[in-house]
Amino acid sequence: MCVCVCVCVFDDRAWYPLGRIIGGTIYPGLMVTSAAIYHILNWLHISIDVRNVCVFLAPLFSSFTTIVTYHLAKELKSPGAGLVAAVMIAIVPGYISRSVAGSYDNEGIAIFCMLLTYYMWIKAVKTGTLFWSTMAALAYFYMVSSWGGYVFLINIIPLHVLTLMITGRFSHRVYVAYSSLYVIGTILSMQISFVGFQPVSTSEHMGAFGVFGLCQIHAFVDYVRSHLNKNQFDTLFRAVISTIAAAGVLTLAVLAALGKIAPWTGRFYSLLDPSYAKNNIPIIASVSEHQPTAWSSFYFDLQMLTFMFPVGLYFCFSNLTDENIFIILYGVLSIYFAGVMVRLMLVLAPVMCILSGIAVSSLLSTYMKQIDDVKVEKKKQRFEGNYFMRSEIATLFVCVMSVFLVMYTLHCTWVTSEAYSSPSIVLSARGHDGSRIIFDDFREAYYWLRHNTPEDAKVMSWWDYGYQITAMANRTILVDNNTWNNTHISRVGQAMASSEDKAYQIMRELDVDYVLVIFGGLTGYSSDDINKFLWMVRIGGSTDKGTHIKEHDYYTPAGEFRVDKEGSPTLLNCLMYKMCYYRFGQVYTEGGKPPGYDRVRNVEIGNKDFELDVLEEAYTTEHWIVRIYKVKDLPNRGA
Amino acid sequence: MRGCRYLLLCVLVGVLALGWCQGELNKDLVNKKIERKVDITSQVVKIATKITLENSGAAPVKSFLVALTPEEKEKLSSIIVQSGGSVLKIRETKVDEQPDVAFYKVDLREPLNPSKTVNVDVEYILTHILEPYPASIQQGEKQLVKYSGNHYVLSPYPTTTQTTTVAVPSPNIESYSRLKPTAHTDTSITYGPYESVAAFSEDAMSIHYENNSPFLTVTRLERMIEVSHWGNIAVEETIDVLHNGASLKGPFSRYDYQREHNSYSSIKSFKTIIPASAKDVYYRDEIGNISTSHMRIQDDAVELDLRPRFPLFGGWKTHYKIGYNVPSYEYLYSSGDEYLLKLRIIDHVFDDMTIDELLLTIILPEGVRNIKLETPYPVERLADTLHYTYLDTVGRPVVSLTKKNMVEAHIQDLSLHYRFPSLLMLQEPLLVVLAFFLLFLMVILYVRLDLTLSKDEATESKMRVSSHCEQVHTHHEKRARLYEKLEEEIHKLKSSKDVAQSQTTTKKIQASIKDETQFINDLVGKIRADSTDYADKVAELQKVDKALRECVVQQLTNVEKLVSGKMSKQQYMDTDNPLHRKKEEALERIKSLLSAI
Repeated sequence: MCVCVCVCVFDDRAWYPLGRIIGGTIYPGLMVTSAAIYHILNWLHISIDVRNVCVFLAPLFSSFTTIVTYHLAKELKSPGAGLVAAVMIAIVPGYISRSVAGSYDNEGIAIFCMLLTYYMWIKAVKTGTLFWSTMAALAYFYMVSSWGGYVFLINIIPLHVLTLMITGRFSHRVYVAYSSLYVIGTILSMQISFVGFQPVSTSEHMGAFGVFGLCQIHAFVDYVRSHLNKNQFDTLFRAVISTIAAAGVLTLAVLAALGKIAPWTGRFYSLLDPSYAKNNIPIIASVSEHQPTAWSSFYFDLQMLTFMFPVGLYFCFSNLTDENIFIILYGVLSIYFAGVMVRLMLVLAPVMCILSGIAVSSLLSTYMKQIDDVKVEKKKQRFEGNYFMRSEIATLFVCVMSVFLVMYTLHCTWVTSEAYSSPSIVLSARGHDGSRIIFDDFREAYYWLRHNTPEDAKVMSWWDYGYQITAMANRTILVDNNTWNNTHISRVGQAMASSEDKAYQIMRELDVDYVLVIFGGLTGYSSDDINKFLWMVRIGGSTDKGTHIKEHDYYTPAGEFRVDKEGSPTLLNCLMYKMCYYRFGQVYTEGGKPPGYDRVRNVEIGNKDFELDVLEEAYTTEHWIVRIYKVKDLPNRGA
Repeated sequence: MRGCRYLLLCVLVGVLALGWCQGELNKDLVNKKIERKVDITSQVVKIATKITLENSGAAPVKSFLVALTPEEKEKLSSIIVQSGGSVLKIRETKVDEQPDVAFYKVDLREPLNPSKTVNVDVEYILTHILEPYPASIQQGEKQLVKYSGNHYVLSPYPTTTQTTTVAVPSPNIESYSRLKPTAHTDTSITYGPYESVAAFSEDAMSIHYENNSPFLTVTRLERMIEVSHWGNIAVEETIDVLHNGASLKGPFSRYDYQREHNSYSSIKSFKTIIPASAKDVYYRDEIGNISTSHMRIQDDAVELDLRPRFPLFGGWKTHYKIGYNVPSYEYLYSSGDEYLLKLRIIDHVFDDMTIDELLLTIILPEGVRNIKLETPYPVERLADTLHYTYLDTVGRPVVSLTKKNMVEAHIQDLSLHYRFPSLLMLQEPLLVVLAFFLLFLMVILYVRLDLTLSKDEATESKMRVSSHCEQVHTHHEKRARLYEKLEEEIHKLKSSKDVAQSQTTTKKIQASIKDETQFINDLVGKIRADSTDYADKVAELQKVDKALRECVVQQLTNVEKLVSGKMSKQQYMDTDNPLHRKKEEALERIKSLLSAI
């Protein structure tokens, strides 16, 4: 029922003048979950604000994740491994980064859903009952409703089945588990309107479908084999398999050529080929989360798990079962994907914890036993000469492991407090005397917009700030973080990158009342719009209407991007430059430096004394981080 | 019941008013002397008039009239008439001869006898009467406002002599109307004295001057008071503030604002004063905590220096919440089950404040009855509603009232009488206890209920076996400890050489070992019913144990022999070593068996 409600909702406050069909462009899981919790609590007269529900949803679900991780690792190895894995995931920074209070994001619940599905899947494979397969399908449905990352899931489970087939571990249990999961899960997932018919039409889902077919064939072959003798069977098998393979490949090719199967979508392609997105889709490459992961960030987010991961893999290999094959596949694949995209560190973190949990628990239980033995049979040492200094080494090992675990805890606490605990909307810096200076400029500007502009005012800004403006300023915006329409974003990029006259035409066309830019030159806040500007140029120039915007115009002849006197004239006269640096040329920012010294780029700006013709300064925040301009009306005729 | 009472009251008032209207103006009264002070330094206009009334007639006079022009009436926020330090009763009324003028009838404390005089002070406050002129200014400009009034004091009685002093904030006056005699100093303009002014004289006064004091209006104040009988009163005020001075024309330049300090009429911050006992103060809005505020705790009050997120220029508005807790013992008085809540209808928001609209809601505890409200000035009481929050069942009664156009003079206490049986205090804790009890009860029942359709023999027998095996473990542990004791005895015997003493203890120990072994033997039978596998293992354990026991007993007899000299030392060593080894082997075997069980 909730899904239907979502479908009907149309948001005319964003993507002006297009608007956005909410149900068709988002995964509803997060909202439905929070609304359900809110209504249940209020029905019980626990009068909690919906905002508080949203704020604490991610921490709540991360605690659920901990529980599910325990059960998953318990299924894979032992309760001990489960406990260690749960403890590890409870504090791993890679996951905390997305589950702190206030991070109301799809990923917050999606990781829980993903692990829940894996747990149900493993249960289903182990028992081969319809009950667990159906539960797995339901968990999968919840996952589909909450995050686009479900594609990972619907590929890894078939891959697991395929591996089981190849290794000759295919059984009735697997057949029941996968067939029911695929059928129920696919039908359920098609109920999400954002997903729609994708599960039967796009190539991302074809793997799952193919494996489903293979399952049927495999089962049928097994059945035939039980009725024929070996020779007959072999002949039959060879003939049938070659025909089917040829027919299958042909059908796929034809369907793809006819466009019945959608080509690989950009985001997924960039997973397989890291340079794909950068070369083809600037909007995907422009997000820092979509950049390849640096090695240091693996250590930063996972610490000792990076080293325990191979150990865990070893233990899984040493005791190969159906479910261990699954976790091996999951681990290896996700480590590849995490290397491609920083954002997917989130998918890697749970499997790292599980495998490390298995490793630590196996190692400790091996060595702890040796210590235990020694204590009980103190007197009988002379009869146990098979290991040299058995207890001492065991003790030493356990001590080293404890030190590792303590270091892990300390590291996690430090990373969490240092990197993931501060709100990104309120910035803080240390003053000369060590006191804390708070830059609350974002909220200042948004609140000004909320109360001192007409209620139907249209605000143009780069898409990064779209959601913030919608939520905090409650004003209509042109583009937001749901980057569903590339050309519209490109139009905004063109306006920012054009000269004032051209930009004015675009802004009139889009009916813009206010323009908002983020400027860090006074405070040294480095992720401002000038530093993002090249992306605006690239995205702006990537569509037909923006062919007049060429990236090389914004570079100096030497190919540098500079805002000082050497900078290209196109850059120094474009709308974005003018909005950021309007009247900044008079400001002394640092002692001993000329006025108009930009503290992010560390240069004196090149174009200082200019006036704005089509805009007027409407508001600038205390530290100049947010600057809002009002678009002037057309001048009166003859004036 | 209450309706009836109101009806009665209305009728009474109506009758009184009618009766008075027919009783026209009293022509006998004369204003001997009027001194008026008009304060237009802030955004509100405070007018204080000192009148010396004389009864020139023959009959004593009980009451007199105060007149206001229609414009003043419209902007009037509060009016107080005092005489000799006590407040006089005042009531709005109408006079047929002068339908446009608003009148207030003031009852004198004691009738004014013929040819006697009395001094009365009339103080009233007008809001929104100062008009910004020009209506919009640029960022660096000063704010000019226009005051329009009356050169004479409007009175239904003739006046012998009157003077008006207008206090202005600065010497910068663009223009002012002159009705001679007038005098102008830096901070005031004096009109008069005017002699023998007829009743209802009017002459337009207009002053156009610079006024940069904060023109800040609370357009709506929602004050919510939540009373808890557990000792706390929570106050939360949701405030909409508008700068209603001259509106800002053209751009706002942050550079000019920071460098040149020429934004005269803009408001950067203001002070709010809340009760001294307030704690847990918060200052926030829809998007979270507002980080720019300071709190100073003083002896008699807590002073908050509130800075909105952005400076307020003319026409700009903001919205915020301020909340705090105060202990209830300062405001809540009780006698038995009867309670009296006495607290302020509004509190100070900023100096010279004006509040266009107030909505006060008081949330009382669940189960409160017989609510009676008394206010020091008339307010409009809204219908009572119910409020549901944590652990509520029937809902908390909410008393709400509203009033328009309020100023600082309205900061006064209201009294709310109600009845609250103190036993109801226990309702919520009991509710929690009950809820948890039910929860636990359900869990208890659930774990004891067997909801399976068919009995699962396999798991049940498995569970039986495992419980039996556990018993085997405990018994075996006991036995192992007994063995240890036995060995200790052997050691003791070696040193003490007291065979008789040792024999008694070892006998006892051996008997207990036998008991334990018997227990385990019984268990073997039980286990065999479910699992022969485990039973075999336990039987094996028993066998090994028997070997072990024999070894130990042999050792014991050897030692006894050694001590009593029946065996030489060498002989003892020779027999003991193989025994020891055997024992070790047995122990090792037992260990592996135990771990398998």
